[in-house]
Amino acid sequence: MNWENTLEFARGPFFQVALLVFVAGMAYRLVRVLALGWQPDRVQAKGSRIGGVAVSFLKGIIIWPFIPWVKNTFNRNPITYLAGGLFHLGLFVVIFLGTAHMLVWKSLLGFGWLTLPLPIVDWFAAGAIVAMIALFINRLVNPVLKLLTGPAEWLNWLIVFVPMVTGYMMTHHLWFQYETLFSLHMLAVDVLLIWIPLSRISHFMFYFFAKAIHGSDFGKRAVTP
Amino acid sequence: MPDETIGQHLRRQGISRRDFVKMCGVLVGAMGLRYAPPLDESGLPAHLENVRGFTSAAFIANTLEAKQRVPVIWLEFQDCAGCSEALTRSQDPTLVDLVLNTITIEYHETLSAAAGFQAEQAKEDAMKKYAGKYVLVVEGSIPTDNDGVYCTIGGRTAVDLLKEAAQGAAAIIATGNCASFGGIPKAKPNPTGAKGVWELITDKPVVNIPGCPAIPEATTGTIANFIVFGALPQLDSLHRPLTFYGHTIHDRCLRRPFYEAGKFAESFDDEGAKQGWCLYKLGCKGPTTYNSCATIKWDQGLSFPVQSGHPCLGCSEPNFWDGGGFYQGQSAPLDRPTITAVGAAAAAGAVIGVGVAAANRMQKKGVKRDA
Repeated sequence: MNWENTLEFARGPFFQVALLVFVAGMAYRLVRVLALGWQPDRVQAKGSRIGGVAVSFLKGIIIWPFIPWVKNTFNRNPITYLAGGLFHLGLFVVIFLGTAHMLVWKSLLGFGWLTLPLPIVDWFAAGAIVAMIALFINRLVNPVLKLLTGPAEWLNWLIVFVPMVTGYMMTHHLWFQYETLFSLHMLAVDVLLIWIPLSRISHFMFYFFAKAIHGSDFGKRAVTP
Repeated sequence: MPDETIGQHLRRQGISRRDFVKMCGVLVGAMGLRYAPPLDESGLPAHLENVRGFTSAAFIANTLEAKQRVPVIWLEFQDCAGCSEALTRSQDPTLVDLVLNTITIEYHETLSAAAGFQAEQAKEDAMKKYAGKYVLVVEGSIPTDNDGVYCTIGGRTAVDLLKEAAQGAAAIIATGNCASFGGIPKAKPNPTGAKGVWELITDKPVVNIPGCPAIPEATTGTIANFIVFGALPQLDSLHRPLTFYGHTIHDRCLRRPFYEAGKFAESFDDEGAKQGWCLYKLGCKGPTTYNSCATIKWDQGLSFPVQSGHPCLGCSEPNFWDGGGFYQGQSAPLDRPTITAVGAAAAAGAVIGVGVAAANRMQKKGVKRDA
C-alpha cells in the first residue's frame, strides 16, 4: 500500500461509489420531502408564481448579501453572516471557476467552461478557509450557538474543512508530497459526497427547493418579500 | 575479459588517465556525489576506508581503477528493447562509455552476436562462472498467467528464466516501466498476467529504473553506483534510486512558473502553447511523476517531452497506462459512472424514499384509528 495506490482507489472506484451513493441519497431525501404532501391552497391568485420564485432567488443571492445590514441575522450575529457568506462565495468560485475542478466537471458532464486564473481562485479559497476557522471559533464562543451545536455540526464542519485545506495545500505543494495530499483530498471529497445526503449539508439542494416553494406561494399572494 | 581491472582495461582501450578522471567527474555529477561520502556514517564497505580525504571525482577514479569489470546478464522478456536502444544510442560520450567500459555484458538477446543454443550456453557459462557476482538487468515485464506461456525463450518461461538468473545475482536492476511495474503489457485487461520483477523476486535487492524508456543516465548511474560502492543506491518506497527519482517532473519543470501564475495552454496550438505555458490542462502528469527528465533531459540535455510541448505521461509511475486519459487533466476522476448507473442510483433512492414515506403514512393512519 502506497500513496499511488491510495490515489488510484480514491480517484477511481471509491469516487464512483461515492458519487452513486450521493445521487441515490439525494433522490431519497427529495422524495421524502415531496411525499410529505401539501395542504390544499384555496387562496385566490393575486400575482404570478413564477415572478415570485424569480424575485425570491434574486433577492436571496444577489441583493441581500450586499446590503446585509437590513437583515436581522446580520445585526444579531454579523460573524455568521459575513463568514458564512465569504465561505459560500469562496466555495462557489473554487468548485466552479477553479481550473482543476472545472476539469472534473468536464469529465463528468462532457463540456467545460472558462475558468478564473489561479491566483484569483486562490484568494477565494484562502478566504473560504479563514471563514471556516472564524465560524468554528464563533461556534465555540457564542452562547446561543454553543447550545445549538452538537456532534453532527462539528462533523459537518470537519468533513467540509478537510477537502478545503488539503486542496489548498496540494495546489501550493505545501509540506507533504503532492500525491499524499492529492490522495487525502480525494478521500475527503469521497467521504463528503457520501456524507452530504445524510447531513444538513444537503441544504445545497433544499435551499433552492425551499426558496422556490416559498417564492411561489408569496408570488401567488402578491406579497413577494 | 572481466578478470582484468577496469584501469587495465581502459588503458588497453587507449583511454588516457586524464580522460578517465574527466569521465569520473561526469559520473560524480550524474550520481549526485558532491563529496566523497563520509564513510563512518554511510555504512559503506570497510575497504573504502583508504580513500578518506579525496574529492569525489578522485574517489571514484581510485575506486574504479582497482576494481574488476562487473559482469552483466541482461534479460529481455515482454519488452520492446526500447530501454536497450535508449542506452546504446545515448550519445553521452563519457558517462555511458565509461559504464559500458566498466561492465562486460555477458548476455544480451538484442546485442549479442551469438544466437540460439550458443547464446543460451554463453549465459549458462557466465552464470556459473560469476555466481554471486554478476548484475542482472531485466527489461520487459514477466507474464504469469497460464504458467507463463506467453513469453518463452529457448523453450523456458520468463518466470523460470528470471528466477534462475536471480538466484546467482549480486544485484538486480529492473530497467523501464515494464520490468519495474509491468508497464504497457500490464495495462487493462492485462491478458498475460504481466508483473514487474520486484513482485516475483522478493529475496534479493531489486532496483527499479522505471521510464518509457528508462533514462540511460539513470540506468548507468545506478550500475556505476554498484561498481564503485559495491552496494545499491538509496531507494524510495517504489525501489527507485533517490538520486534520479527524488523529485517530480513538476518540481523541476521549466514551465512551472506558468503553473504558479495560472497560465495554461488550452490546446496544442493556441497562443498559450506557443508561449510555452503550463500543460496541466492538457493532461500533464508531472505533479505525481518522479523522474529526472526535467533535469538530465534527453539527447545530451537537448530537451524532454514537456519542454517540446507534450504533457508528461507519467511513465515512471506504476499503472501509468491506466492512470486516466493522457490528454485529460489530472484532477479528473479516473472513470465516470455510466448514465445508466447514475439513473439506477437515483431510481433506487426514489423508490426507497416512496416506500419509507408510504410506510410512515400507514403507520400514522394506524395511530389515528387506534386513537
